[in-house]
Amino acid sequence: MDLLIIFISAAVVNNFVLIYFLGICPFLGVSNKLEKAFSMGLAATFVMVLAALVTWLINNLILIPFGLPFLQYVSFIIVIASLVQFVEMFIRKMSPTLYRALGIFLPLITTNCAILGMALLAALRDYNFIQSVVFGFAAGIGFTLALLIMAGIREELEMAPIPEPFKGAPITLIIAGLLALAFMGFAGLISG
Amino acid sequence: MNKLTRMIVVLTVIGLISGGILAGVYQWSLPKIKANQVRATDEAVFKVVPGVKSYRSIEHDDLTYFKCFDKNGKWVGTAILCQGNGYQGEIKLMVGVNADFTRFTGMTILEQVETPGLGAKIAEKSFEDQFRGLAARPPIEYVKGVAPEKPHQIQAITGATISSRAVVNIINKTVEEWLKAK
Amino acid sequence: MAEGKVKRNLVFEFTKGLWGENPVFRQLLGMCPTLAVTTSSVNGFSMGMATSFVLICSSTIISLIRKLIPNQVRIASYIVVIATFVTMADLFLKGNFPDISKALGPFVPLIVVNCIILGRAEAYASKHTPLQALVDALGMGVGFTLALTVLGTIREILGSGTLFGVLNFEPWVVMILPGGAFITLGLLIGLLNFIKERTGKPASAPACPID
Repeated sequence: MDLLIIFISAAVVNNFVLIYFLGICPFLGVSNKLEKAFSMGLAATFVMVLAALVTWLINNLILIPFGLPFLQYVSFIIVIASLVQFVEMFIRKMSPTLYRALGIFLPLITTNCAILGMALLAALRDYNFIQSVVFGFAAGIGFTLALLIMAGIREELEMAPIPEPFKGAPITLIIAGLLALAFMGFAGLISG
Repeated sequence: MNKLTRMIVVLTVIGLISGGILAGVYQWSLPKIKANQVRATDEAVFKVVPGVKSYRSIEHDDLTYFKCFDKNGKWVGTAILCQGNGYQGEIKLMVGVNADFTRFTGMTILEQVETPGLGAKIAEKSFEDQFRGLAARPPIEYVKGVAPEKPHQIQAITGATISSRAVVNIINKTVEEWLKAK
Repeated sequence: MAEGKVKRNLVFEFTKGLWGENPVFRQLLGMCPTLAVTTSSVNGFSMGMATSFVLICSSTIISLIRKLIPNQVRIASYIVVIATFVTMADLFLKGNFPDISKALGPFVPLIVVNCIILGRAEAYASKHTPLQALVDALGMGVGFTLALTVLGTIREILGSGTLFGVLNFEPWVVMILPGGAFITLGLLIGLLNFIKERTGKPASAPACPID
């Protein structure tokens, strides 16, 4: 039950993109086509689950027992950057088709604040191993959800007469604002 | 030095320097950070239990509470740290009860992310003051739209029932745990 | 790689970060903290300062050691340097300004992945002298702080009815909420694009630099 709450909270109620403002850069850059959005979301979710796992291990097996909390940011980001490298190499070897679809998004994930943000939040809230992994997965799903919704809307908008200065980032941000307002409707879903 | 060795050496050196610097900065700032935390707890405890001059903190599983003593060393009350889910996120608060556990002596919200202008009003003095002198038994309740009739009731904030209810539930739940633990 | 081929004067290196290449409004970098912490002018300003500190220190150091780092590990090295300064800034805030630290929350450590810092390191600091890198970082930092303070001020005035804490008028709560953040920033960028269009320059486009 507890896990379900964590999942719904991270994926919907406290959606990483629309409520916590994490992962905005790829959100703006990659949400103009549904397939791109889906690939990016998939890649990000995959990395997030692994990152949740590995950062939990590092935090609880090394940093805390040895009294090194100040190395948290440095170690977490190194973990994430390395994970992304390995995942990229792995996918390139295992499935060239998958690599062609998602490969180019992987390096962008390193600087995706959603990944680091997720790892830091899980550590801050002192989640146990299972909770962290569920949290990572849920965050990824929420991220993908926001991206997919945005891509769907933007594809529809392609034919719409948007004033030149607003094309691209500005209109996306405004739509995101409306989406964020809509998502606020989910608040209270998990209250005590 | 071949390429691979050089890469490893550079990374290791940078890592070591970074680790060393951070260890130093951490040692330097640790006392201040601890002092800030103590000060925050002090403020909260002093706010909810009037007359307290010193306190002792007790931890029991997930429960943290503070036994408060006046300047003569007499036990005047207990401040209990409570947390739970609110409308938008987690709410953390400190509630004070008197020594014979008949009344609450005060409540202060420590952390909340409720809706500004609505749920966030739980952190305002007018809401917090309702808990001063509130009867502690039976478990407290909230009423909507009318002034409370019974001594263990408070009035929920208009338009912020869920946040108000969350506060009531969090306090009741934590107080039950505390009663079992003490 | 040609080293700082055209020695443009230092004044230009500084001022470009304020308007022409403003990290938030033109390069669309550092969006996450821009939206998240600009709920008040003080918060926006503090975040700008913290980011500027990390930007200036890391750009300068990276420029100083640029010839010692093998190409393949440069991104990893930059990241460690940046993360070190971020940790320093975070510890400093927690110790000396706990209220601001709480208000900025997890976005202080997230400065590590702020595209501005890694972007300037990769695009500029690694290819210019320390003095140039310092000036460039200063300009970008000031530009970023300006952008955040402006956004924070707008949202504070409209959302809480205050300015640096002085009460003003009846607020639109939405401005403090995520929706308001997105919409305000979107409108601002649209407006700036409009101005740019009138003066013949291209519109803002995302510029996050990884590979």
